[in-house]
Amino acid sequence: MTEVGPGRRFRLLRGAHRTLTGLSPAFESVLAGLVGLLVGAAIMYIWGYDPWRAYFALLRGAYGGSYEWASSVARGVPLVFTALTFSICLRAGMFNIGAEGQLYIGAVAAVTVAMFKLPSGLHLVVGLVFAALAGAFWSLGPAILKLTRGVHEVISTIMFNWIARFLVFYMVAYVLVDPHQAQRTIAIPPTARFPVLIRGTDLSYSVFLAVTFALFVYFLLWHTATGYEVRAAGFNPTAARYGGINIKRTVLLSFLLGGVGAGLAGASVVMGLPPTYAIISGLPQLMNVGFDGMAVAMVGRNHPIGILLAALFFGGLNAGGRVMQFYGANPVPLEMVRVVMGAIVLAMAIPELARMLPATLRALQGLKRLFERRPHVQEGAK
Amino acid sequence: MGDRQSAYFLKAEGITKVYSDGTVALRDVDLEVRPGEILGLLGENGAGKTTLTKILSGLLPPTKGRVISPRGPVRFGSPREALDFGIGMVHQHFALVGTFTAVENVALSHERPFTPLHLEETRRKLERLMEESGLRVPLDVPVEKLAVGEQQRVEILKVLSRDVDLLILDEPTSVLTPLEVDELFGLLRRLRDEGKSIILITHKLKEVGAITDRVVVLRKGELVGDFKTAEVSTEQLAQLMVGRPIETELGRPVELAEEPLPRRLSRAKEGVAHTGPGVLHVEDLVVRGDTGELAVQGVSFDVYAGEIFGIAGVEGNGQTELVEALTGLRPAVSGKATINGVDVLGKDPREIYRLGVAHIPEDRWKLGLVLPFTLAENAILGVHRWEEFRGPFSILRWRRINAHVRNLMERFDIQATGPNAPAKSLSGGNQQKLIVGRELAKDPAIIIASQPTRGLDIGAAQYIRDILVEMRNRGRAILLVSADLDEVLALSDRVAIMYEGKFMAVAAPEELDRETIGMLMGGVAVEGRS
Repeated sequence: MTEVGPGRRFRLLRGAHRTLTGLSPAFESVLAGLVGLLVGAAIMYIWGYDPWRAYFALLRGAYGGSYEWASSVARGVPLVFTALTFSICLRAGMFNIGAEGQLYIGAVAAVTVAMFKLPSGLHLVVGLVFAALAGAFWSLGPAILKLTRGVHEVISTIMFNWIARFLVFYMVAYVLVDPHQAQRTIAIPPTARFPVLIRGTDLSYSVFLAVTFALFVYFLLWHTATGYEVRAAGFNPTAARYGGINIKRTVLLSFLLGGVGAGLAGASVVMGLPPTYAIISGLPQLMNVGFDGMAVAMVGRNHPIGILLAALFFGGLNAGGRVMQFYGANPVPLEMVRVVMGAIVLAMAIPELARMLPATLRALQGLKRLFERRPHVQEGAK
Repeated sequence: MGDRQSAYFLKAEGITKVYSDGTVALRDVDLEVRPGEILGLLGENGAGKTTLTKILSGLLPPTKGRVISPRGPVRFGSPREALDFGIGMVHQHFALVGTFTAVENVALSHERPFTPLHLEETRRKLERLMEESGLRVPLDVPVEKLAVGEQQRVEILKVLSRDVDLLILDEPTSVLTPLEVDELFGLLRRLRDEGKSIILITHKLKEVGAITDRVVVLRKGELVGDFKTAEVSTEQLAQLMVGRPIETELGRPVELAEEPLPRRLSRAKEGVAHTGPGVLHVEDLVVRGDTGELAVQGVSFDVYAGEIFGIAGVEGNGQTELVEALTGLRPAVSGKATINGVDVLGKDPREIYRLGVAHIPEDRWKLGLVLPFTLAENAILGVHRWEEFRGPFSILRWRRINAHVRNLMERFDIQATGPNAPAKSLSGGNQQKLIVGRELAKDPAIIIASQPTRGLDIGAAQYIRDILVEMRNRGRAILLVSADLDEVLALSDRVAIMYEGKFMAVAAPEELDRETIGMLMGGVAVEGRS
């Protein structure tokens, strides 16, 4: 072995490494966002678009004025709910990806209020309760499977997502269908809609529900004994049991609360996002809101406050993306926004990768040495 | 100091290690490791023992200084390379694959990526090695099902099977019986006579005298002494190690004399020898272990207020299962257990705590603490629903909790930056003090303490022991389970020796001599006792 160790060759890398591993969680998220945008830019460039003008359009479309802001916030609202669904369960130690299905069921439950009449306001509340209960009900399946049979929640929630999807397709096409417009369900009457907050935009009062729910989850997790139990069980189930915490209870509770969140997400789409107030067949408004919520949760570092900010960003991407695709001589397809989102989620792993870097380098060197030193080793071993 | 002409196996020169967070772990340490020598590395927790051995075995680069050997500079990328070089380390926290058997674990350590495992060969090798070394382990049980002591034996066998030249053992005796310790020491001596180097990290002074040829004392990262063992007294070493005569809160200087421990016992019991009403009553308790075997086979005993009832024995003889059954973590098969007359079997831990039970668990990382949680969050684990900390609507009263934690930190001398420091940032001793503080704050009628001083330095361990005695003197009942025989004998008013799920004997420690105890722990019934 010579004096020139790996240290010299990797000095630059080491500097970058130290920077990356010392980042605060908030900064990591910002970094991931930037990397995502950069990757998107590279791909646009390769396909012959002008990334500068595209991002300019996106930025303008997302945060260029009060209308744009309203539009971004409105698109962030359902994401707040589904992100919280994911985060609550993650804090409880589970990887619940069932928000998507629970959201569909919640939306259908909300639409059913169109079948009866109630005074304004009360009608809305009833719809929200319906949606919340329906979402919770749909999360009950995976929860019970996990508690009684030990079925892993990733498997069961994926399956429940598909069941929900086709069940809702059926409900939209046959049960709740509008007799006059076969491509969508009956519309929710004005008595059960969230009032529009800023006239002329699609931002409704549902934003207050989202913020309230986020604050509620924050308070529950960090300021109540119940939330304390959920987090303890999530970090260390054995110690939680020692501490007299009923793990089954925390699992059930977090699933149900997550279901409530996802159900409300469905309600906020159909009751709070003009102009349809109905589910369109094929579920274009609902599709992926649950999965995007997971991305929002990750960027928001699974903290309710972080999630509010991340949802604003993702809402902005969605809102701005629509502008980007119609912008003058440089129409960039909406799918590019999804590329950016995907890149952001991947980039979230960078600091973690950086933390793993020394181990990885060692492994690689070991592998190299393995083949170099092999004969010697066999000589030495008995 | 040491004779110059002896060839060295490893030499450390001017080693300084500064961790990236600024902690200076080692300061300008020189050390020689020679073949055919058992070197004791003595120091309190945090003295830099582990860091030094990691640098010696090339796992950690020093900030300054170098490690050389006659074969060239020492620097490895992985424990595997160190093993190839001939350096093997048995860590305090084991590096075993839990779901693999002993044979598989050992075979795994022999192979490189993409080579087949030679299970049969390994089994033969292990059987021969077990024969030679006297270290016995079940070969075909997943190691996670083994007791900690047995897991450690697997670790030692794993390293021995690699024919190392330098064997580093980090606190190896803390989980072994006296007989096993003797066997281990015999083995180490044989290895030394074969010309191998051995480094024994320890804070047990008796071991230094018993086994080492040379002893090096570290204190706060500095090498403060390097002696031939024969030329130094135990008192000198103790003094060097702690840098001050240890005094406990109760103001009693701690005895570090080598004399047989049952003498010290009378000291512990000087307080009051009162025996109050029965608190814990256990009758014919039968409990199953993880593998379905009967781990506890019909144990009956009472623990009275104002006494320490100790359970001694090799780990893995049912102590863990017994404690878990009594604290609601494991169902019992049959039998009866009451605390102050209330049945505890079948109750969950929370209900049992309500009866006035404090539980200092065996494994503080797995059971006792939620490591990513803060000090404050850990300080209410198990009592988080008590009215003191929980207001209406289940709201946690953080202000009170933080005040409680500050109080604990002060009373139990927990070194931490504050109530919001994560528990994982604390040293082992401080973590244990936090657990003890939390449990005692329950104002318990009975304290069930399982291995309460494992892995702690002398100061912290003695502190915890003093607290237990103090609680006894205040009329609490204490059930103490410990693999540290000296500890059980010194603290207990009555001691039970547990072997294969049964009590071999229950007696006052004075009535038992060490030989008898050793035999009872090894399952040999002694005449005149049932």
